[in-house]
Amino acid sequence: MTTEAVEPDFDVIVVGAGVAGCVTAYRLAEAGRSVVLIERGEAPGSKNLSGGVLYSRVMEEVFPDFLTQAPVERRITRNYVQFLNGTSSVGIDYQDSRLSDPVNAVTVLRARLDAWLGERCEEAGVFLMPGVRVDEVLTEDGKVVGVRAGDDELRAHVVVAADGVNSFLARAAGLRPQEPTNHLALGVKAVVSLPAATIEERFHCAGDEGVAYAVVGDCTLGIGGGGFLYTNRDSISVGVVLRLDDLVAKGVPSSEVFEHFLTHPFVAPLLAGGEVSEYASHLVAEGGLDMVREITTDGMVVVGDAAGLTLNTGLTVRGMDLATASGIAAATGIEAALAAGDTSKAGLAGYRTALTASFAGQDMQTYAKAPAFLERERMYEQYGSLLADIMYGAFNHDLRPRRHLRDVAKRAFKRSPVRLRDLFSDGLAGVRAL
Amino acid sequence: MKIAVAYKWAPNPQDAAVGADGTVDWGRAKASVSEYDPVAAELGRRLADATGAELVGISVGGPDVASPMARKSALSRGFDRAVVVADPALEGAGPTLTATVLAEVVKHVGDVDLVLTGDSSQDVGAQLVPAILAGALGWPALANVTAISGGAGDLVVERLQDSGSQVLHASGPVVLAAATDAVVPRVPGMKDILAAGKRPVEVLSLADVTPAAPVAATAVVATARPALAARKQHVIDGSDPVAAAAELVAALRADNVL
Repeated sequence: MTTEAVEPDFDVIVVGAGVAGCVTAYRLAEAGRSVVLIERGEAPGSKNLSGGVLYSRVMEEVFPDFLTQAPVERRITRNYVQFLNGTSSVGIDYQDSRLSDPVNAVTVLRARLDAWLGERCEEAGVFLMPGVRVDEVLTEDGKVVGVRAGDDELRAHVVVAADGVNSFLARAAGLRPQEPTNHLALGVKAVVSLPAATIEERFHCAGDEGVAYAVVGDCTLGIGGGGFLYTNRDSISVGVVLRLDDLVAKGVPSSEVFEHFLTHPFVAPLLAGGEVSEYASHLVAEGGLDMVREITTDGMVVVGDAAGLTLNTGLTVRGMDLATASGIAAATGIEAALAAGDTSKAGLAGYRTALTASFAGQDMQTYAKAPAFLERERMYEQYGSLLADIMYGAFNHDLRPRRHLRDVAKRAFKRSPVRLRDLFSDGLAGVRAL
Repeated sequence: MKIAVAYKWAPNPQDAAVGADGTVDWGRAKASVSEYDPVAAELGRRLADATGAELVGISVGGPDVASPMARKSALSRGFDRAVVVADPALEGAGPTLTATVLAEVVKHVGDVDLVLTGDSSQDVGAQLVPAILAGALGWPALANVTAISGGAGDLVVERLQDSGSQVLHASGPVVLAAATDAVVPRVPGMKDILAAGKRPVEVLSLADVTPAAPVAATAVVATARPALAARKQHVIDGSDPVAAAAELVAALRADNVL
């Protein structure tokens, strides 16, 4: 057992009251540990913008009443995948009542969700400490023993870094290098307020049902990334995610890309009459498994975005469910380490074991090749045009004799810069990566 | 000596949205200790430290005023303890109700020699509570206070007046509203917040205090935005910069601006 020079103030210090931090803190408090949850914002969620689509089943493992008690916006029962071109758009509209029962995914606004999670933590006995910015981790003999904020120091057996994609705690503890720019993306998003009735009418959804769009192509002006749009109760979250390396290389201001997407003739009507109530940009981790490195060190673990736990599979972008899973796994590992009286890296190894065994760890492995696949340029321009040309050939009756769809496709393909070997290569890589 | 500091757990206007028609949507606004109240708390803490007095935070409002967040946020400003009336009937209470209930809290605390308040609340900003509270207690009230010294029944108070200042002596209990910039309040650190979590908070409901029934009620029947100042709308043609500058100077001279 490691000797503690000073009696710690808490068993565990969690830095960052987002999804991962709150779940870790809640679980440990439930297990009877003394936990302080430090948050930079004036309240959990106050620094958070917009929200996202949360694949909610894992959250129900932590909070069985999550769907009825938490401030969820809408159940996503309809998914669109849309290839957007300058003057055309081809989409797949997937609706399925099986997505509704049991509930698969919900939209959330983080300002509300994080506040709710913070309250659950306080009920469980977590000491919530908002309005405090942690300046550094305290180390003694290479072991993390606490944190410093301003003139004050707090000590604990274990520090949990849940401080988001730019985790400086993880970096300070030597767990993370500066990320290469192809591991990061810039998300630019807005929340557009619209009456619930308008949303239900416009998106053909009843009651608390909702819609999520994944958009690729012209929405990002050819920059690697994509657009998204999903319905909240009485607002729409809409935005673009732009791979940082490509954005820098192409030299286009992100605001211009965002504006282009919002005013695109296939997007603008969905937002018409709405009022922008939030607008912001934020870095998003996109490195996949490559970005998840060491997640434990002596006296410290890293969870959620801070651990690089996000997945973009092209069709779904996931972060909050992985954050939840990492919080559960971290709490398991920390509880075991505290019980054994060994909070060294070896003592905390149960976290990685639990994470690897969870769906989150396995999915990170399954989609390990997704980021490289999604870096293929053709994804963002050429396939959308090709699809639209084929559809145009099929639907455009210009009084010339019709051709078989096969010939239409062949001609469109010939005109397209996409070569047959590209199609094979991308198809094969896609099947392998996704 | 016993010093009470009245504070408000109020929605933060930073999060309020103003619609195109001028209506204010407080729906997203999170509550916080009202902006100027930490100034009163800091003044009180310094006087309490100098005189060995007890510093009691007092507040009235909806149930949220007794929430863990509100308690920690308030007590981390330096109060020794707090007494709050948390009651659904006090949600969004106006200045008169707020002040009359606060007066009952002051009596409940007992033997209070001084009540400090902030300049005004961040959500309403009426600047009325200190005066109504003093009236309900039958005490004098002074606003725009920048410094306090002395002890119970022998307070020396400095306040801003017009462009100068005035020093007054108070020989008994008094309500003082701090000037917005009287002192720079401390930013609570982790230890302050930890200590705040351990300090006692007495939570009362409206039934525990019996404020005087109001003799009259007021209600908002209409609001209007301030009228826009009339502008001359004098546009100077800038195609010839020298001529434009000369015309601008002449226009400013004509209006006695220069």
